[in-house]
Amino acid sequence: MLQFVIAGLVLGGIYAIAAAGLVITYTASGILNFAFGAMAFFIARFYYFLHTQHGWSIWSSAVVSILIAGPAMGIILYLALFRFLRLSSPLIKVVATIGLSVALPALATWIFSNVTIQQAPGLAPEPVAVYQFLGVPVTLDQVIVYACVIATVVLGAVVLRYTEVGLKVRAMVDSPAMTDLSGTNPEAISLGVWAVSTLFAGLVGVLAAPINGLDIGHFTILMATSFAAVIAARLRNLPLAVVVGLLMGVATSLFQRYLPPNSQWTTTLVDAVPYIVIALFLLYTLVRGGDVGEKSAYGGALDRAITPQGESRLAGSTSSMVETASLSFMGKYAGPLLLIVIVGVLPAIVTDYWVGLFALAFAYAVIFLSWTLVTGEGGMLWLCQITFAGVGAITAAQLATNHGWPVLAAAVMGGLVAAAMGAIVGFLSIRLGDLYVALVTLTFGLLMENLVFTLPTFVNQGLGLSLNRPQFASSNLSFDYLCLAVFVIFALFIVNFRRSTTGLALNAARWSEAGARTSGVSVVQMKVIAGSIAALIAGIGGALLAMAQSPFVPNANFVTFLGLTWLAVLVTIGVRSNAAALIAGVMFVFPAALFQNYLPSWTWTTEALSVLFGLGAISAAKFPDGALAENSRRLRHFLLRFRPVATELVAEPVDAAVPTGAVDGAPRVAEHVS
Amino acid sequence: MTDATPGAVPPEDDAPALAATGVTVRFGGLTALSDVAIDVAPGRIAGLVGPNGAGKSTLLGVLSGLLRANGGRVSLRGHDVTSTSARHRAQRGLARTFQQPEIFQGLTVREHLVLAYRARVAPARLWRDMFDPRSLLPPKPEETERVDGLLELLRLTKVAKAPVAALPLGVVRLVEAGRALASDPHVLLLDEPLSGLDMHASEKLCDVFRQIVNENHHPLSIVIVEHDVAAVLSLSDTVFVLDFGERIAAGTPEQIRKDPAVQAAYLGDTEVQAGAGRGTAAGSPS
Repeated sequence: MLQFVIAGLVLGGIYAIAAAGLVITYTASGILNFAFGAMAFFIARFYYFLHTQHGWSIWSSAVVSILIAGPAMGIILYLALFRFLRLSSPLIKVVATIGLSVALPALATWIFSNVTIQQAPGLAPEPVAVYQFLGVPVTLDQVIVYACVIATVVLGAVVLRYTEVGLKVRAMVDSPAMTDLSGTNPEAISLGVWAVSTLFAGLVGVLAAPINGLDIGHFTILMATSFAAVIAARLRNLPLAVVVGLLMGVATSLFQRYLPPNSQWTTTLVDAVPYIVIALFLLYTLVRGGDVGEKSAYGGALDRAITPQGESRLAGSTSSMVETASLSFMGKYAGPLLLIVIVGVLPAIVTDYWVGLFALAFAYAVIFLSWTLVTGEGGMLWLCQITFAGVGAITAAQLATNHGWPVLAAAVMGGLVAAAMGAIVGFLSIRLGDLYVALVTLTFGLLMENLVFTLPTFVNQGLGLSLNRPQFASSNLSFDYLCLAVFVIFALFIVNFRRSTTGLALNAARWSEAGARTSGVSVVQMKVIAGSIAALIAGIGGALLAMAQSPFVPNANFVTFLGLTWLAVLVTIGVRSNAAALIAGVMFVFPAALFQNYLPSWTWTTEALSVLFGLGAISAAKFPDGALAENSRRLRHFLLRFRPVATELVAEPVDAAVPTGAVDGAPRVAEHVS
Repeated sequence: MTDATPGAVPPEDDAPALAATGVTVRFGGLTALSDVAIDVAPGRIAGLVGPNGAGKSTLLGVLSGLLRANGGRVSLRGHDVTSTSARHRAQRGLARTFQQPEIFQGLTVREHLVLAYRARVAPARLWRDMFDPRSLLPPKPEETERVDGLLELLRLTKVAKAPVAALPLGVVRLVEAGRALASDPHVLLLDEPLSGLDMHASEKLCDVFRQIVNENHHPLSIVIVEHDVAAVLSLSDTVFVLDFGERIAAGTPEQIRKDPAVQAAYLGDTEVQAGAGRGTAAGSPS
């Protein structure tokens, strides 16, 4: 047993260091770094590049990658990105880090070349030395992990508790604004924190690569596992995060020791350890009936006071809302209608190859609409829409192929199953706050991907599942129009939703939970409804995608990390608009096809688009409404220059009970006063 | 008078509109409220005053259901609501505003009022409307009458279609008040509604509150928390004074003006003794 505990502590130690890095970054900057896994992968890949591809020694490779490149990456990212996120909403912060998580692995492949990596080296020289400890063999790699865990915990505790730097960091955690006023530069502290955090990421990457494999999918799972420890530590409790990380490693190892070795259930249970931890935490919180205080997690009263309310919220900066409200019916709907007409006509005039791609684009657009509802309208970041799409596809395929259901009815049932799952996930996570929704949905996606989508019935020896198109839509063109029709139906539903009482209530719950509750609106109910309907849309969209791609392999076509790329594409275009969902569907399919067909291969790599999409999502920090809304706004402003009436839009006093002496410098919007 | 609102529960006979007894709230080792009692009769205005940190907003949090007390009971129109949520209390006729306005930045002024009205009067619409295209049809006349009436009363008609994100703080406070009133409440909790307004605007808003209480179609009670003691004393029928989480005085405005404990709380014991022979000191309740 001791042998398994020692082995478990290695894995747990890696989880613990990752969890420590995540907690430190969150407490010091308010940013829960969803790119931690990608950063770890990038540095580990750099280490492999130096050591294995270029023959550098272990120590020089480790020093350059972990101690120099890691902190340098943190400093660069802080200066280029994270410092602009300090006053942003939690959603913007998460989206920016997700953009990074999409861009970094692609960048690593681009820079360090796409080679097949059988076995990644660790920090111990080959052959790895083995020692005896209490009669148990312990490898030098394991010893290095233990040393790193101890160093992390001891150094972290000493620095934070007993040094001036630690005092400044703790002061900044309480209030960056007050720290600034007291003469300490919070920027310098943040810079240091990010450098340390990416150093941890690099260390985790290099330590985990020999055990985990040098693959971004595995690193995403590693990060999600560490998230379990972070969730259990309520985002802030560093010692608890480290302990839970270690315990998860030990539990994993002991399961392997005591459960039947060749059983599918053993594999399932071992893989499910982090999800069990998360489930236990959620159940405990539900039973306890409290919340986790996420809103008060960062900054003090002064920080909250200087944070512009409503600004920089994902999908809905106040300035854009004011402008959108001022638009006429044609101003709001002419563009989307024109877009529908164009994409409706195009399949009829292009060759069959491109017609088939339009079906894919429209199916993606349907899935993207689920984010338009849940994120654009509901203000929640769900990271498992691809999982709901997979559930819809699998359910539809099973019902249509094995049980003889009509394929459209099977697709609707697939959507309903996804909706039920969405309701459960939403009910468990929504009351905990936005960050927990993102965390729980990400881990739910990975859980489904690893435990359900890999079931032999669905993988079918790599052949996957088939889902035939309806007979009336068997040709590519007719199937295009079926997908487009489904898109239009859901888009109209969202338009109605926005204007309905439900939409008003959801909007209210998004902006002020206290205001909504004291107005008689159930915040959880509204958000669960939105999440569930979004899951339904994703499920049906997934079934359409499966028809377009048939046959499909669930654990290849509906991978959680791919879902993050989908989200990055949508956020780049705009997550609040139906038209943006359609454009994002087209953008996800056609550039790659166009480049592959018309550009010389040396000018083009598949990673380039991922990098671009990732950078696009990062740009949400500056343009929360996306490229479509931002460019539409610029176009409107440009056109308004040529309209003489524009000069009449001068502020006028609002004849309300409160005279102009009222506090606040917010601009008056006379154009809305009718 | 009867209340036709679906979520409304008939009042117990002779029950106060809102009553709280023995309310105790502790934040860790700090006792924010200790055994506080307060009640307001139907159709009356109760003022709640006290220095900073006295526990006024905490008490409003307990009364509205946003904050769970460690001890004590809260009843609304004679019904115990201690263990009910803020939403249920709202549906039973309790509405409130906030010290820092809790507005819905994605909605227009009118939509704030419409939502609050429907949440109490037609709560089923909160989820049915998304499937029902008829929700896009013009609203029922009674809804329009209620909402338009409030917009007119609060002089918000001209900004009814404006998103609140574009409005100054003073107007936003009116929107919050309008939202609270749109739910046709029996009890309205106002948390520093005059803060950020100049004297002229404060007087106008106080007039609006008086008018609403006097002209409402059923008895409406108001609990107002405000730092402007003079405004509270002129507006209220009864005044409760808190200091360091304890109720130190309760009575009519006249009684409160003369209460030495209140003067001590605002000025300190030494100054009260020194000023005893000089009449009312500046800054004291007057």
